[in-house]
Amino acid sequence: MADDVSTPKFEDALAELEGVVRRLEQGELPLEDSLAAFERGIVLVRLLSERLTQVEQRVEVLLRTEGGKLSVRPLDDEE
Amino acid sequence: MPAPRAPRVLTVTQLARRIKEALDTGFGALWVSGEISNWKHAASGHLYFTLKDDESQLDAVMFRTRARGLVFDPGNGMEVVVAARPSLYTGGGKLQLYVDTMEPLGVGALQRAFEQLKERLAAEGLFAAERKRPLPRFPRTIGLVTAREGAAIHDMLTTLGRRWPLARVVVRPVRVQGDGAAAEVAAGIADLNRLGGVDVLVVGRGGGSLEDLWAFNEEVVTRAIAASTIPVVSAVGHEVDFTIADFVADLRAPTPTAAAELVAPAWSDVAAHVSRDEAALRTALSRRMALARERLARLERALGDPRRRVEQVAQRVDELSLRVRRGVARRLSWEQREVAALAGRLERVGPAARVARARERLDVAAERLRRAIDVRVRHQRAALQAATGRLDALSPLACLARGYAIARVGDATGPVVRDAAALAPGDLLFLAFAAGTARARVEHTEP
Repeated sequence: MADDVSTPKFEDALAELEGVVRRLEQGELPLEDSLAAFERGIVLVRLLSERLTQVEQRVEVLLRTEGGKLSVRPLDDEE
Repeated sequence: MPAPRAPRVLTVTQLARRIKEALDTGFGALWVSGEISNWKHAASGHLYFTLKDDESQLDAVMFRTRARGLVFDPGNGMEVVVAARPSLYTGGGKLQLYVDTMEPLGVGALQRAFEQLKERLAAEGLFAAERKRPLPRFPRTIGLVTAREGAAIHDMLTTLGRRWPLARVVVRPVRVQGDGAAAEVAAGIADLNRLGGVDVLVVGRGGGSLEDLWAFNEEVVTRAIAASTIPVVSAVGHEVDFTIADFVADLRAPTPTAAAELVAPAWSDVAAHVSRDEAALRTALSRRMALARERLARLERALGDPRRRVEQVAQRVDELSLRVRRGVARRLSWEQREVAALAGRLERVGPAARVARARERLDVAAERLRRAIDVRVRHQRAALQAATGRLDALSPLACLARGYAIARVGDATGPVVRDAAALAPGDLLFLAFAAGTARARVEHTEP
């Protein structure tokens, strides 16, 4: 999936968000960096929240064709 | 007329090949059960034995590469089930069973095989704790290797859909029991590894008897799990059942539902976490802002109100200018003093000074002179007085007082008569007494 490559992993994004929060909470960032960190954090929160609202479960079936090739199809139109 | 066809003569090899072909295409792989006899473990590692039952027997060979997969130690008299292809060993003119896998027959034997395989794999280190990989916290793609139908897949899809619907689930349907199940499970694990992008695998099935679960005790499955580059959660049967797959998997779940819970976080927990992070972010920023504002205020205070500052500066300017003026004035008066001093000095050395000094000297001299004169005068006066006294004593007047008279010839200015001889009767005499004068005439003279 293309978006899996271009968008950060959920785990990475959450880890980054936690890092941003930690850095901000330590209060050692210069003010401008704080604002930048905050904006980055909010972007991550939005991204993560969007991901979390994509609640439609996708189930696929991995099948092996005659030639040994793998093919993935939605579970329901398997046959 | 066509020549009569000579009967086709085959070489032995040709025939042997035909028989072999017929056997190979006619039978393929099949499962055969029987008792082992003539057991021979060759130095090459190949296993040669006879598989027999009450009436028949067939030679069998299990090559070293296949024999390595054995999960138990076969031996004479042991009842086994083999997966084998009957074929002709052309070199020996022998019909042989080429054995791919061999399993002991019966539950007791299965149990023994289980223990044997477990021991062997444990000795290899496949169950080592340090081999266990952590599961991704937030899998984007979850692979399931399980039966297409049944409670296990239903439970897993339901649980995953409820907890972590974000993930894409790829199911690799496999047979989970019976002949070839182990190979299918192993192939399924390999296929999901090949597919790419799968973050975690669940390999499993619902509970069952030891025989039902047997595929998950087979080495091929165990090896496939160990070889998987994707972390694997085993989910075989119910809690009491352990399989070899459970030991080699990165994490063992007692049931398929539990496996789904282990591989996927709860959506609601994560959402709460994210919103907690967001709140923390806002709090931290506002704290940071408050800090900055406080600091600014502090600096402002330190800097002071600009008007006050201006006033202060103005005041300071006033002070300074005052000081400057004072300084100038002081300097002026100092200079004045200096001029005065200089003037004084000048005066002292100038003509006026000299005049004054001369006058002073003159005064002094005059004084001294006056004093000297005074002394002299007093002295003279005293001398005079003394002289006067003496004079008094000698004064004719004193004689006169005692009754003497001064006789002068003629008048008062005439010569004093000291010798009567100088006189001739009739001469006029002037007589001076102590008191008054008289005029007289000489009557007589006597010597």
